[in-house]
Amino acid sequence: MSRQRLTVVLSQGQGKDPRKRSLEESIAAALLMEPGLDVSIVPYLYDLDADHTGRLFLESVPGDMLVLGWMYPRAAFWLLDRCDIKGHYGENLITPKAEVDDDDEEQEEPAPPKGVGAVNVPDRWIYCLDLRDHADYTVYVQEVRRVAAECVERRETQLKSWIQGNPTMVQLGRYMREEEPVVATPQFTSEQLMQAPQRRWYPVIDYSRCTNCMECLDFCLFGVYGVDKTDRILVEDQDNCKKGCPACSRVCPEQAIIFPDYKTPAIAGAPVGNIGALKIDLTKLFGGGDAMTMAARERDRELVADGREAVGLTVGIPKRQVDKHQEPKDDLDKLMDALDDLDI
Amino acid sequence: MPDDLTFLMGKFPAVLPGGLRYARNHMWARPEDGKLRFGFTSYAVRLMQDVYFLDWQVNAGDRVEMLQQVGHIETSKAVSDLFAPCAGAIVAFNQALLDDPSGVNVDGYGSGWLFDMDSPGDGLLSAQEYHQFLDENWEKTQRMIKGKINTED
Repeated sequence: MSRQRLTVVLSQGQGKDPRKRSLEESIAAALLMEPGLDVSIVPYLYDLDADHTGRLFLESVPGDMLVLGWMYPRAAFWLLDRCDIKGHYGENLITPKAEVDDDDEEQEEPAPPKGVGAVNVPDRWIYCLDLRDHADYTVYVQEVRRVAAECVERRETQLKSWIQGNPTMVQLGRYMREEEPVVATPQFTSEQLMQAPQRRWYPVIDYSRCTNCMECLDFCLFGVYGVDKTDRILVEDQDNCKKGCPACSRVCPEQAIIFPDYKTPAIAGAPVGNIGALKIDLTKLFGGGDAMTMAARERDRELVADGREAVGLTVGIPKRQVDKHQEPKDDLDKLMDALDDLDI
Repeated sequence: MPDDLTFLMGKFPAVLPGGLRYARNHMWARPEDGKLRFGFTSYAVRLMQDVYFLDWQVNAGDRVEMLQQVGHIETSKAVSDLFAPCAGAIVAFNQALLDDPSGVNVDGYGSGWLFDMDSPGDGLLSAQEYHQFLDENWEKTQRMIKGKINTED
């Protein structure tokens, strides 16, 4: 393992779905032949606890990293961040961007998120690819090659600018060495890496979107959330989280709380502004009520299951109007107009 | 058996078979071997149009409360979470739809059924009552879909 090489980590899917295994194996087999890559396989990322060898391995990776997994890239990236495996977010070219209809050329880029951001981000990049995007392994192999080339180019550009700027010997040494000695990088056997973990369930915070508003802290009555020394929100006690309950994610005004295993894309970390941007959300019509009502209902179910009193909408409900989502209006209008044209 | 009713969505006639019962979340119910079989009404299908993706997040046999979230659907025009039409146990899902969810569009009142429930079916409506429910809410529904109102209720 080296700072100069791209570490590719394949995070397996849960269960034994043969289609998933087959895609994973095809990708791994193809990448093992590629020069300049270190390829490793670990179990499902979300399930790795702090002591799991797979997690220790991930923590030991010093340079650029690419993670292939069965979840949205945003979910995987912030999951790593939560494990203190940090870097700059590398965009990939596989994940579909917001769908643009042919008759809708003026679609705007979603506004950049205004979150508090990650802290202590080292100078390396982390790319996450979603294995659910394609069934064809060659798509992933191509993208890994592209990312590897991008990382090399970035390092070379950096190196050139340093050389022109009269670098210190230490900097030069770091970049000129063929292979860095593997300092304090533990070697793990694949058996150790692949120990089957327990299934887990907990929220992951996307700090590029989180504004530290603390609404999740107020809403969750199970003690999952807390704050660090700098009063920054964090998932403090993830094992207090109630399996299957996504209520805090619904309450978050910035869509910053991700449950990677939840079925609803917006909660599972789908690109914000993508899913549903051009589709009508019929959830309310089909019995969902607004997000706050649903969240309170889900929380009540867990409270009662714990032998506590249901609190409905009386505790930890923000006073703000649930009216943040005005942007898609025009899209919805266009969509309904299209429906109208169909004689609805 | 009561006559079939038709609810006009603009020009589109949504047929409501008279012999079925209906839930306010736009599902129909029909007794089937001592269970209640549920599916989407033609009103719901018309709003959603072509079903692309259907996913359940409870297992067959699970007990559910009324309006508990049970799944998710994505269609050519819409996305939505799906909710239990009444309290009870969901005993079986229509396996054919998991392979090809477009069955909902092909035969929504027949082979495109969604799931069977062991449930007394409390709170279900007659076709007449469902028609009236649609009628009373049609204007609001159109406005909601068009995004003209965001803070109602």
